[in-house]
Amino acid sequence: MIAFSKTLKITASVFLGATLCVHATQAPQRIDVGKMSKNVENVVVPLPNEIFGALNKLGSVNWREYVRTEKSSNFKERPRIALLLGTVIADGFVAVQAEDAPAVKEIGQRVLNLSKAIGVGNSITPHAKAITEAADKRKWEEVRQELDRTQSSVQAAMNEVHDEKLSQLVSLGGWLRGTQVLTSVVTKHFSADGAELLHQPDLLVHFQTQLQGMPEYNLPIVREIQDALGQVKPLVDVGSSRISADSVRKINDITTKLDNGIVIKQ
Amino acid sequence: MKHFTKFTLWISLLVCIALPHGVAGSVDDAQSFALQAAEPYVKEGFQVREDYWGGDLGAGEKKAVRQQLFKGNEYWFWLGTEVERAKVSVHIYDSEGKLAEQQDSWEKGHFAAAHVIPKATSSYFIIVAVEESPEERTHWALVYGFR
Repeated sequence: MIAFSKTLKITASVFLGATLCVHATQAPQRIDVGKMSKNVENVVVPLPNEIFGALNKLGSVNWREYVRTEKSSNFKERPRIALLLGTVIADGFVAVQAEDAPAVKEIGQRVLNLSKAIGVGNSITPHAKAITEAADKRKWEEVRQELDRTQSSVQAAMNEVHDEKLSQLVSLGGWLRGTQVLTSVVTKHFSADGAELLHQPDLLVHFQTQLQGMPEYNLPIVREIQDALGQVKPLVDVGSSRISADSVRKINDITTKLDNGIVIKQ
Repeated sequence: MKHFTKFTLWISLLVCIALPHGVAGSVDDAQSFALQAAEPYVKEGFQVREDYWGGDLGAGEKKAVRQQLFKGNEYWFWLGTEVERAKVSVHIYDSEGKLAEQQDSWEKGHFAAAHVIPKATSSYFIIVAVEESPEERTHWALVYGFR
């Protein structure tokens, strides 16, 4: 526990550190990445709004075009619910970009229902309430933060009951929907900088590795995602070359098909 | 070694309140220090992610964290430990192993921060180190924010 006086002391020393611009000790200009990679932590999967923020800086996007609030199918299989939950949270970030309060509130409710269906509803109720309140006040930064907290709480609750694989599927669902929206935007208004946001080969490997560790989830949609990641990887793993408009379109086709598979009962 | 969420932090803090003084710190304590380091930047518009990384290291040991960064965004990574007499550092390298951080990255005892404006959308290595510490093992936590 950190006492209040200690907190003040910490804040003061951090402030001092920042304001005095205490420069870092001389770090080596180069490291051997090959040696470091043996001692590497797991990646934190970026949230869709991290990518949307970068996309916004390239030009204005009509986010309302990408808002989705239609109800999806009801699933019984927990892996399918987890994937859908990640997708719906990503929809929440799209609705925030569009500053669409009714959509945000509806999505907040869907997140709560899906969380209940997967057995982690209790940890999400306060977040769903906070999302609704912040959307009513049009405090978009608070809604964004609350969506991040929602995903973290869902995943923490899953991890606590050793459902780490479901937690990974939540991240994967969100990433797939985020990638679908990103490729839709870039396909419509192609730019090399927009396409470069797809340069995420290590994340693809990360998801492929995780899916390989889920043989118990032998569902058609999980197999389809595995195959699709294999198709997407060569399109984005281009080294220092540019990702072409054709590749962006192909990735959009692939992720749109997967999104339909996640949202609609097959 | 794993990444954590603020939810687990709050649970751990509640447990800490219930425990007698003198009980050693934890990664979650380290995370509260990392978040303290991040606080001034939130006012500058940085969104701090709920997820974070943490673990423990001996003095002189390093750990690499691989993270996807997007060109167009600006990132800060904040490292903290609850061991007040420890010195920690954090540096950012691109996928080729070239130092990629900005000049205003800083270190201050048991806090450190690294600033990067990615020149390319790619994987980056964030190298955390416990440079000095009176403890055999020192907890660390790394949080990041972007705008």
